[in-house]
Amino acid sequence: MIRINNRERANAILHYRDYDRMPVVHFGYWRETLRKWADEGHLTREEADRWGDGNRTDDVIAQKLGFDFGWGATLGQHTSLMPSFETKVIRDLGGGRRHVQNGDGVTVLESDGAVSIQAEISHLLVDRRSWEEHYLPRMRFSEERVNYEAIGRHKNTAYADRPTGLHIGSLYGTLRNWIGMEGLSYLQYDDEELYREIIDTMGNLCYEVTKRTLDTGVTFDFAHFWEDICFNSGPLVSPAVFAEKIGPHYRRITSLLMEHGVDIVSLDCDGCIDALVPVWLENGVNTMFPIEVGTWNASIAPWREKYGPDIRGIGGMNKTVFARDYAAVDAEIERLKPLVALGGYIPCPDHRIAPDAKWENVQYYTQEMRKAFG
Amino acid sequence: MSILTEISDLLQKGRAKQVKELVEQALSDGIAPKDILNDGMISAMMTVGQKFKNNEVYVPEVLIAARAMTAGLEVLRPALTQAGVKPVGKAVICTVKGDLHDIGKNLVKMMFEGVGIECVDLGVDVDGEQIVAAVKESGAQIVCLSALLTTTMMSQKDIIEALKAAGIRESVKVMVGGAPVTQSFADEIGADAYTQDAASAAEVALQLLAS
Repeated sequence: MIRINNRERANAILHYRDYDRMPVVHFGYWRETLRKWADEGHLTREEADRWGDGNRTDDVIAQKLGFDFGWGATLGQHTSLMPSFETKVIRDLGGGRRHVQNGDGVTVLESDGAVSIQAEISHLLVDRRSWEEHYLPRMRFSEERVNYEAIGRHKNTAYADRPTGLHIGSLYGTLRNWIGMEGLSYLQYDDEELYREIIDTMGNLCYEVTKRTLDTGVTFDFAHFWEDICFNSGPLVSPAVFAEKIGPHYRRITSLLMEHGVDIVSLDCDGCIDALVPVWLENGVNTMFPIEVGTWNASIAPWREKYGPDIRGIGGMNKTVFARDYAAVDAEIERLKPLVALGGYIPCPDHRIAPDAKWENVQYYTQEMRKAFG
Repeated sequence: MSILTEISDLLQKGRAKQVKELVEQALSDGIAPKDILNDGMISAMMTVGQKFKNNEVYVPEVLIAARAMTAGLEVLRPALTQAGVKPVGKAVICTVKGDLHDIGKNLVKMMFEGVGIECVDLGVDVDGEQIVAAVKESGAQIVCLSALLTTTMMSQKDIIEALKAAGIRESVKVMVGGAPVTQSFADEIGADAYTQDAASAAEVALQLLAS
């Protein structure tokens, strides 16, 4: 058998070619998970605190757990606010609670011990004036946005033992972060011109940065968008609106990527994405990630049945079994077998591994995945 | 087209200013406040909720309809009070302890208010003690608990236990929801209802109030 590396394996799977074994991949961890594992003696506290997607510590932790690599590691460029807003405490509410302005200019509620997505208290971006005063100047293209040093380093690791990805950015999820779900919904109807103008600004910036990056001659196995614009029942935006306002930017960027040989384009979107999948496919996104099993049981299988081999997937492994026992892990791997057999699919925990995960269950998973898939 | 049908159509389209104007006009035409509420506004929000469930409209359309509902209610509320029209029920709603995510909770609140249920919104990161106090103070018939994370959903159970300990579990119906929550989890922790989306939550709340 020809020995191939993880990069070649992943590329072979996503292009429906023969491969020797399935790479065992992860999508990172909550910081609290790593700290718990450090308290239990599986990691050092330094490892828990230093972990980041694709850094050295990521490799150390992956090795201890038995993963081949993390899928979340991509080359990211500056496609959002530059500079971001100063993070500062606006008001201490007492009892471990405070209002904090974050890097997006949003005032959020932080509470000691609460680790979920923060509650938004107020937004700096509310109308055209605030857009033009605070945001537009931070969204203009400049050469500083292209990290040529990182590209140089990336070129040196282009033959590394893992697929290489370019992070394109976000055209809608980031805007939602700036203005909030309610604000964005109202903007869509109250000032459609501004809504379109902001999305165009973001799309053009992502395109320009991607073009400059690719023009250096650096190569990538895949490109990656992030949006997170769905919840457990469907999308936060109408597919028709996405197709009309955002789709053309996706098409322009994915066409550029294709011209540079990047034919795998993934999109990170949590929640029930079914209604948006056709719009994404039409606009050049062909790989869904992380396919949250959750309460909506997302899976590559029905999409493959509906859209054929054009759609690929990475994710779809129900990470909640890590909180249970070996039998639950075994059952999950059994569930994955027919999905892997479809081809064009790489199982991966369906989001960051949560603090209820038991170290030994994750180790058992990686070990059994190798037995199950070569 | 009758003015109530017009209010309903405009509310579904989220035309807040026009809804407000037409509600004013309907009142000055002598239409009963209760009829304006039920036939012009609540029925419209129920249609929006149904379309949302069927993926015919999405969150932005629900939000602008809810905003139009609020605009109309601003004008209508004094007349409703004067006519002695009471809300169909009252709910205490929150995101549970350890969790700060409130988009889902806010959507449920909007849908509840859209079908005429008054909401006492306790915000986020709320524990059993706060819920018990709010139920006692407001006389709410429903407690609605949202959780985003597998690690915080157990707080829903803690709140149900707190209601039991306070001796008021039987006086309220507990509804649970949120991304990781399932019907089986709801059954396991002894909740009265689980719904997958905000529109279904409002429908089920009405059923619970009627039961």
